[in-house]
Amino acid sequence: MTEQLLFRLRVRYVKQGRLRYLGHLEVLHTIERVVRRAGLPYAVTQGFSPHMRAGFSAALPVGTASSCEWFDVFLTELVPVTEALERLRAAAPADLAPQEAGYVDVRADALTAFITCAEYRVALFPRRDAAGEAAALDAPRLEAALAAVVARGQIPYQRGKKQKVLDLTRTLDAYTVRALADGAFALDLSTRMDNEGALRPEILLAALDAELHGAPDDPIVSTGIQNLSLFDHYDVTRTAQYAMSDDGAPVYPLHP
Amino acid sequence: MRCEYRDRFSELEPLLARVEKPSRYIDHEWGTASKPEAAYRACLIYPDVYEVGLPNQGIAILYAALNRAEGIACERSYVPWVDMADEMRAAGVPLLSLEGAAPVASFDVVGFHIPHEMAATNYLEALDLAGIPLLAADRGEDDPLVIGGGPSVYNPEPLAPLFDAFLIGEGEESLVEVCREHERLRDAGATRAEILAGLARVPGTYVPALYEVSHEGACTRHGYTVPRAGANVPEVVYKRVVRDFGATDPVSQSIVPFTELVHDRLSIEVLRGCARGCRFCQAGITYRPVRERTPDQIVAAVSRGLAHTGYDEVSLTSLSTTDHSCCSQILSRLNRGLEGTGVSVSIPSQRLDAFGVDMALEVAGEKKGGLTFAPEAGSQRLRDIINKNVTEDDLERACRAAFEAGWRRVKLYFMMGLPGERDEDIVAIAELAERVLSIAREVVPKGQRGGIQVSVSVSVFIPKAHTPFQWCAQLDDAEVKRRQRLLIDSVHDRAIRVHCHDAETSLIEAVLSRGGRDLAPLILGAWRHGARFDAWSDQFSLARWEEAAAELGLDLRAIAEEEFPLDARLPWEHVSPGVSRGFLLREWRRALAGKTTDDCTRSSCTGCGICPTLGAENVLVGDRS
Repeated sequence: MTEQLLFRLRVRYVKQGRLRYLGHLEVLHTIERVVRRAGLPYAVTQGFSPHMRAGFSAALPVGTASSCEWFDVFLTELVPVTEALERLRAAAPADLAPQEAGYVDVRADALTAFITCAEYRVALFPRRDAAGEAAALDAPRLEAALAAVVARGQIPYQRGKKQKVLDLTRTLDAYTVRALADGAFALDLSTRMDNEGALRPEILLAALDAELHGAPDDPIVSTGIQNLSLFDHYDVTRTAQYAMSDDGAPVYPLHP
Repeated sequence: MRCEYRDRFSELEPLLARVEKPSRYIDHEWGTASKPEAAYRACLIYPDVYEVGLPNQGIAILYAALNRAEGIACERSYVPWVDMADEMRAAGVPLLSLEGAAPVASFDVVGFHIPHEMAATNYLEALDLAGIPLLAADRGEDDPLVIGGGPSVYNPEPLAPLFDAFLIGEGEESLVEVCREHERLRDAGATRAEILAGLARVPGTYVPALYEVSHEGACTRHGYTVPRAGANVPEVVYKRVVRDFGATDPVSQSIVPFTELVHDRLSIEVLRGCARGCRFCQAGITYRPVRERTPDQIVAAVSRGLAHTGYDEVSLTSLSTTDHSCCSQILSRLNRGLEGTGVSVSIPSQRLDAFGVDMALEVAGEKKGGLTFAPEAGSQRLRDIINKNVTEDDLERACRAAFEAGWRRVKLYFMMGLPGERDEDIVAIAELAERVLSIAREVVPKGQRGGIQVSVSVSVFIPKAHTPFQWCAQLDDAEVKRRQRLLIDSVHDRAIRVHCHDAETSLIEAVLSRGGRDLAPLILGAWRHGARFDAWSDQFSLARWEEAAAELGLDLRAIAEEEFPLDARLPWEHVSPGVSRGFLLREWRRALAGKTTDDCTRSSCTGCGICPTLGAENVLVGDRS
């Protein structure tokens, strides 16, 4: 059998609004259905149980939004990029809408191997007491607490029955804290991921919360979306995903 | 004042972080309908969690029918899982619809799907979360109308006090008529009582408040239901039936869920009804007559449905898909059309003969999972009693064909506690399974025999209303457990796996199938003791039902195990699928005599009375084999 000529379409899409509560598998299935509804000439794997040839960037936790999720789908015919994007957008729920697309080399690395850097923005909303007073928090205090957490290097936590460790020395590149309007705070994180794991912002938030309320040794249990003691709620958004070239320059997924 | 229709998702959202599967509650799926400006609003509720309710085809059909109607908006709701229900109560958030995230109590009509008896406590759970009075008699002018419909309305009495009205039979036409009439009466300023009286005039609508229970003359302990003095309502409410099924839209689903479901696929209803005449089967009576869609309509519907939904599997649904007169043609046309797309076709169950295996082979492709057959009883004598017209030869031929074609796993369905059942019939189940296993070992090449698996799944027979077995007693649960033990002990080969259905759940199912209006307090009591999601074996607790029964002085086992005299008026005879009492009696006598009865789609009319009573008839698009 001759090798079929394939085209690899790479697409950036968002995950936002209520749809940030979808799990990774739910997103995968939805995107596959979007591709089928769009009527794109997708390639199918050979063998026992044929399925669409597609690949996705690393899982986004339930509750986390993103402006930069990626998927690859292999096509059997070249569809002009603008047309493919238009058809995908028309077939997608608005909160998972594709934003841009382009063809990449069919032999390029899978998205999960290619992407090594992710940036997150976290918005933290301090809890208020019955009188509407927020706890005495300011950006310098948050920054100091975060520095203390980062200085320890590792955050042990429990997920299900497993004891795990988040290694900040390997996964956290940089962070900044600043105050937003209405007493909220923004936390920007530059992170790295590899086969050993990625930084789950919520674990860092749980450690920060424990540090701030003076109980840095309290065990952290990962519950997906965390209940924090000093913060009423928080929003996490993945804002960028890219690779790093050998000379330290970011490489955008559309130009691998 | 009616509770206000407005979006309250912001109150629900903080709870999403604390529950499993938040995607159950977020809406925004592909294909949902939104009609913010509608003058009349309906909310349809499936009485279980989202992923159980979403694939339901009945709700999908009604959702489409109502939203097609000018000025009517239809939204959905499901019962929040126990974690979310507890969070909602603690936070004071009422049950919301999905599409508009509006309180269910703000709708004009709330329609529950009634899938089976074990959903009984979940109607109460949903009404309570919604803040709607649990009993119809306690509802005021501002409360929504609470209606029910679906496969399990043919003995509505135990649920009667909870519902303002039941829609008996097929709802795609009658629900729209009921909503229109309600809207008209509402706009004319009618009172709740006037509205109920008006709805009772829409054919197929049973309004329990306009009927009462009588104990006069020959009847059971539950009495029978008759029109209240002065109420202008029919003595018998006959089911509605769609005469021209082929004229209805075969693509009923529009909503594509995010959550992965057990049946996560496009479903196309290829035919409705089954006339095989198994005497235990309620659906076999209540879905008659048999109506088939044409192959052209089915093939076109599959491609339209797939293009709209993006699913990678399509199921051809019905009570007995392989009975469709053009089954073979339909499957081969679909397979040709879907080649190379990765989309697969499935049929829900196999006919127990070589044709059934041929059809299974058509849809299986390279991937051969398990094949399921339902002999229902172990011995020929008992299969003749229940009118399951298959022989041991049929089963052997089907299994041989299946193993030869490459299947390695076969699942056999049986029932226990059938009328006339003896210990030898139970032992015969084990012998049949062992016979199937020995065929497998004979046919399957040596190196592959490790993959052989024969499993036996045994449910407990429940006597259902409007079947020839409606007078029968339920076998007591202790005896069920003894026979289950006997079966397990009779299976000698460890390659055969036996799964038995829980005898305690079956006891409650029998009580609710056979009882009357007098059992509504039992359902309320069980729910007050914490019963909900009784269809989930990990949630069901017989103790809650027993406590409730004790408080009411009811004996659950006595209710389930009482045989009804043939001349007694039964608690459910004021609603009817159109079958004649004479036919059911004749079938019962033939069962006792071990005489079988033909399938009227393959021979002549067997006189069930449904076609003449409902003014409908079987519609076949070819000759059945």
